[in-house]
Amino acid sequence: MLIRGPVETRIKAVTMMKEIILLFLLFYMACGNTSFGPPGKPTLTNCRSPEKETFTCWWKPGSDGGLPTIYALFYLKDNSDTLYECPDYHTAGKNSCFFNKNETSVWVNYNITVVATNQIGRTFSDPVDVDVAYIVQPHTPENVTVNVMENKGWPFLRVSWESPHKADIRSGWITLVYELRSRMEGEVEWEEHFPGQQKTFNIFSIRSGSSYLLQVRCKPDHGFWSEWSSTTKIKVPEYFFGERYLWILIAVFSSLVFLILAWILYMNSRSLKNCILPPVPGPKIKGFDHQSLKNGSHKDSFNSLMIPEIPPNSSSNYEDLLVEYLEVFISGDQELSMEEGKDMQDFKSESSTCDSDSGRGSCDSQTLLTDKCKEVNKDELNKNCKETLEISHRGGLIYEDSTDTCNERVKTWPCLPQYASSHVPQMSSLKMVKQHCLSDTLLAHGSLSSNAHKHNESFTSTYWDFSLSNKQPSQIHPQTSKHLQAHSDINICKLTNEIHTTFKPIQYVEVQTVNEEGMVLLQPVESVQSQAEGCPHAHHREDYSKVKGVRNGNTLLLERGVTVTEGGMDWCVCDKMETSSNKERDYMSANTLKHQDASMKTFTMPFQEQKPPTANGYVDTAMMFSVSM
Amino acid sequence: FFFKIVFRTVGRWVVLLWPLLLIKCVPLDCQDEQSCPSISQEKLLDRVIQHAELIYRVSEDSCTLFEEMFVPFPLRLQSNQAGYACITKALPIPSSRSEIQQISDQYLLHSVLMLVRSWIEPLVYLQTTLERYDNAPDLLLNKTKWLSEKLLSLEQGVLVLITKMLNEGMVSTSYSDPSLVQYDMQLDMLESIMRDYTLFNCFKKDAHKMEAFLKLLKCRQTNNCA
Repeated sequence: MLIRGPVETRIKAVTMMKEIILLFLLFYMACGNTSFGPPGKPTLTNCRSPEKETFTCWWKPGSDGGLPTIYALFYLKDNSDTLYECPDYHTAGKNSCFFNKNETSVWVNYNITVVATNQIGRTFSDPVDVDVAYIVQPHTPENVTVNVMENKGWPFLRVSWESPHKADIRSGWITLVYELRSRMEGEVEWEEHFPGQQKTFNIFSIRSGSSYLLQVRCKPDHGFWSEWSSTTKIKVPEYFFGERYLWILIAVFSSLVFLILAWILYMNSRSLKNCILPPVPGPKIKGFDHQSLKNGSHKDSFNSLMIPEIPPNSSSNYEDLLVEYLEVFISGDQELSMEEGKDMQDFKSESSTCDSDSGRGSCDSQTLLTDKCKEVNKDELNKNCKETLEISHRGGLIYEDSTDTCNERVKTWPCLPQYASSHVPQMSSLKMVKQHCLSDTLLAHGSLSSNAHKHNESFTSTYWDFSLSNKQPSQIHPQTSKHLQAHSDINICKLTNEIHTTFKPIQYVEVQTVNEEGMVLLQPVESVQSQAEGCPHAHHREDYSKVKGVRNGNTLLLERGVTVTEGGMDWCVCDKMETSSNKERDYMSANTLKHQDASMKTFTMPFQEQKPPTANGYVDTAMMFSVSM
Repeated sequence: FFFKIVFRTVGRWVVLLWPLLLIKCVPLDCQDEQSCPSISQEKLLDRVIQHAELIYRVSEDSCTLFEEMFVPFPLRLQSNQAGYACITKALPIPSSRSEIQQISDQYLLHSVLMLVRSWIEPLVYLQTTLERYDNAPDLLLNKTKWLSEKLLSLEQGVLVLITKMLNEGMVSTSYSDPSLVQYDMQLDMLESIMRDYTLFNCFKKDAHKMEAFLKLLKCRQTNNCA
């Protein structure tokens, strides 16, 4: 029992294992059996003849079918029914058939079929007709050699090769045409050349110093192109010889061109000079006699400039000595609208067409006003300012071109109508104008508090500020307080109320102060009435509204004159020195100079805002003070 | 004044073209060989070869046209299975390089002549056949017509070549055999198509043969083509 036990189990185990193995085998066989089948259909891929004497056919086998498959190639020759089999399956490799010379006939149709056979069955491929004459694809050309040839000039490449050794060109059995392609080493694209049936070729378009790659291939007259031969490389040595000529040529040509250009420039130098650097016009002063200046008689030449009426030698004709005021006309909505683009020159022409009559007369003064406003708004620093103020004994201001003196800032006009729309009623426009007037003037001086603003709504500005350049330092006026100035402002503004009521807002303004920066502060001339009411010291009327002359080039001499009212030119002169506030620094220099002249007056106007002055006069913007009288 | 202008212009042309006056215009009347300026043998052979090349190309085009137009796709690669052999199969023409190397120039040239002459009539027949088709393209018709014309001139050239190269007399015998082409008018459409297709194919092959022979001949004449 004991002995049997292990043996029995062993036997049992073995048998069990065998059964299992058998089962596996059967299972495997059963599985394998379902994938077995006839072979797939093979296909003839191509047939090629390298020299029209032999040819090879290749096929592609189909699916295996699971079983070992045998391939056979059969062919029919030119409609005969004799079936031949491929003579050589090995020479050309796997799945190929090689036909040697004896079996190859040109111009004969071969009908070729490939058969795949396995245990299960056989499959035929589609038959293919082959004529050897049409399937020629030669081998690649051989022995491709390249040389750099140099023939007294530019170098070129000479490429030579040989036909594939098997192709019989000698007898003319095959005629081959060749194709050559080349490229430089760094490039991508090939350059193609067709030597035809030749076996040599020259490439001329080469660059010295670079290396080239070359390839050749061939084709029979009716057939397929061969493969490209292996790349042949050549390096072209550096050649400066040919290039030197080029540089010489370029140098000669460019020098020639340069010479021609220089010659042309020389011939046209004058006109070019005029074109590039136009001559600067010299100063032209009307009535100035250059010759007399050159002759040395300075006085004569300058005297010719002088207008004999200033200073007036006699005071016989007081009317002639009238202070001229500029006429400001604010007449309505339309005139408040802006006109664009007029400059000082227009103003000059405009003013020159004015009569010296009072009132509007022939003056189109509102345009003057608008022009001026424009100037003020746009260019405070009028670099092109070419005006000096010249006073004429009548009429308004005459501005004259002068390149000598440049008034840096000539604020001549308040910005009256600019900010107002054209449809703003007159009153409001005036009001706005007033506001602006104040803001302009006071801000320029930097001395007005806001209080004055508020109160002065009814004020308009006919207050002109003249700011002269540094060449003409300010003429000091003892009146230095802002308070004073405010008064003056107010007074001026008050005047404009009169203007408003009379429809003819004409005001007289006279120069009141000149601050340090060369700004001339003007003061309107009040009417007699207002003056009488408000001016406690109206016992004398000093009218410093006449310019006597210009002294030292930077001081304006004012002269006392008798005020003759043309409808209210009186104004109140108040000898009041206001105490200065902090913002009187503008007038510090004025204070210092005050002592020089005891006759300096401070002109203030009493505050009379309620009563609009009847100002019917002219505003003379040309009025300036001088310290010394 | 008018005459002056005319005279001036004419005079100008006369001045420019006076060499033409020296040229003696002689009609090419080659009754007598010696008085006639003839073309050299190499040039003649070159021209004949060019002719043959051109004929081959056109015949290839015609065959392709016909095939695309009329031949059903499955039958295209099996032109010879229809049972129609090339008409020139019976001709004693070498078909391999080794054979050709063995034959003489004379035989080579005569083979070419044989081929040319045997195709003159079938081409005429093809022309008439194509007109029977419903929608034969004009291009095909024109090409076929051109082929038959050029074949005739090729024949003339080969004859001249024979006379020059081989110093033989004019060969007047015609090689064409009327029995070569069997005209069976009662074939149905498909068979008719296949027959014509075979004709085109065979002609293409024979044109290639002619060209190859002539090139071989040329290389033999120049002693070395390589």
